[in-house]
Amino acid sequence: MYQLVQFISRQRAFILFAILEVLSLWFFYSFNNYPNAIFFNTTNLYAAKALAASNSIKEYSNLRDVNTELATENSRLNALVSKLQAQQLDKSIVNYKADSAVAARFKFVVAKVQNLTTTQFNNYITIDKGSADGLAPGMGVISSTGVVGKIKSCSEHFSVVISILHSSYSVSAKIKSNSEIGSVKWEGTNPDEVEMTEVSRYKTVKLKDTVVTSDFNYVFPPNITIGYVKKVGVKSDQTFHDIKLQLATNFHTLSYVYVINNKLLNEQKALEEKSGDVKTK
Amino acid sequence: MTQKNLISQVLVFGFYLLLQIFFVRQLVLFNYAFCFVYIASITLLPFETNRITLILLGFLSGLTVDVFYNTIGANAAAMTLIAYLRPSIISLLTPQRGYDERQTLSLNSMGLTWFITYTATLTVIHHFVLFLLEASDWGLFLPVLAKVICSTIFTTVVIVIIQFFRKE
Repeated sequence: MYQLVQFISRQRAFILFAILEVLSLWFFYSFNNYPNAIFFNTTNLYAAKALAASNSIKEYSNLRDVNTELATENSRLNALVSKLQAQQLDKSIVNYKADSAVAARFKFVVAKVQNLTTTQFNNYITIDKGSADGLAPGMGVISSTGVVGKIKSCSEHFSVVISILHSSYSVSAKIKSNSEIGSVKWEGTNPDEVEMTEVSRYKTVKLKDTVVTSDFNYVFPPNITIGYVKKVGVKSDQTFHDIKLQLATNFHTLSYVYVINNKLLNEQKALEEKSGDVKTK
Repeated sequence: MTQKNLISQVLVFGFYLLLQIFFVRQLVLFNYAFCFVYIASITLLPFETNRITLILLGFLSGLTVDVFYNTIGANAAAMTLIAYLRPSIISLLTPQRGYDERQTLSLNSMGLTWFITYTATLTVIHHFVLFLLEASDWGLFLPVLAKVICSTIFTTVVIVIIQFFRKE
């Protein structure tokens, strides 16, 4: 017993080191996958307030870019409104009328970016709306130009978003011109570029084609822009295209985002689980 | 250690952490070179600091930085490791004539070569652990290596530059 005590006191530095090292690694591997680890990330109230203060300086220098983005978005929305009005007049699709609850199932909440990274292997964004504004983990986040990510955890007034620039996050996508379905994922190095996989090489893919979110998507409404085809090649296994996309969202100047609340999500999921044969993604 | 020394050590420790969290966090060159200047909060503690204190402070500063980077545990693991290794590195780097009683751990006192070797060694260990943990994928080994090399140079240069502005 005495020897044991002596051993511990001689090796106490190493033992302390080992304990703290294991503790950190345990934090790293469990909390990074654990959605509600509020205390240890930037949704922590004090951390978030500190970031908000330092962010307010950066905001001024970005105003010009933000303005341009908002103006472009306005013009795009105007175009869309007029197009929809036109469609409603000729009622082109026979007898199909979306249920009003389904048509209006997406609700948008505007939030301001408090903190974001683009250069790590797993990037996160902190925004200034939380559970008090109806946000919950799993909701999609978009910017005025395209897809941003998905909410990982919420505190009362802040949320952390998994950005699309995250090594384990992929989005179901479709090429707008020919409706080919695939999935989009970040490769881990260039913050302006993502990769699209699972598109058969026997389909034609043109440069500058727009890639949007597909209809098989719980998080995002269909037809939100993800990016534009920048490079097309063939994968080494010869069956799929190797497509590189230019991201539509400019993460370097991202200041305001929209959080998408799909009000019918739970209903849809419950129904699909009950019928059993639809895979939940 | 006198009380005045202790207070100035605490201030220096806090200074590097705040510097990291509020200013250097945004500082990235060419997407590859990151600056983790807060390493200096551990590497610049006085020679006579004992291992237990080093490890505890290292863990604490790593964890604080982790909260702001959303990488909980990664910086803490890297900092705990370099805090534990610091005494061994210092004795490895002993100059031929041994350490002088009056020498302090600073650029002026130790000379440029010693200071850069010492800082770069600890920095490269820290960055290697941090980036490898963060990538968690051997497929990304080359980008990790590139990040480690670029960031080590960047961090070391910044720490040395700050030393030039230090009052003795």
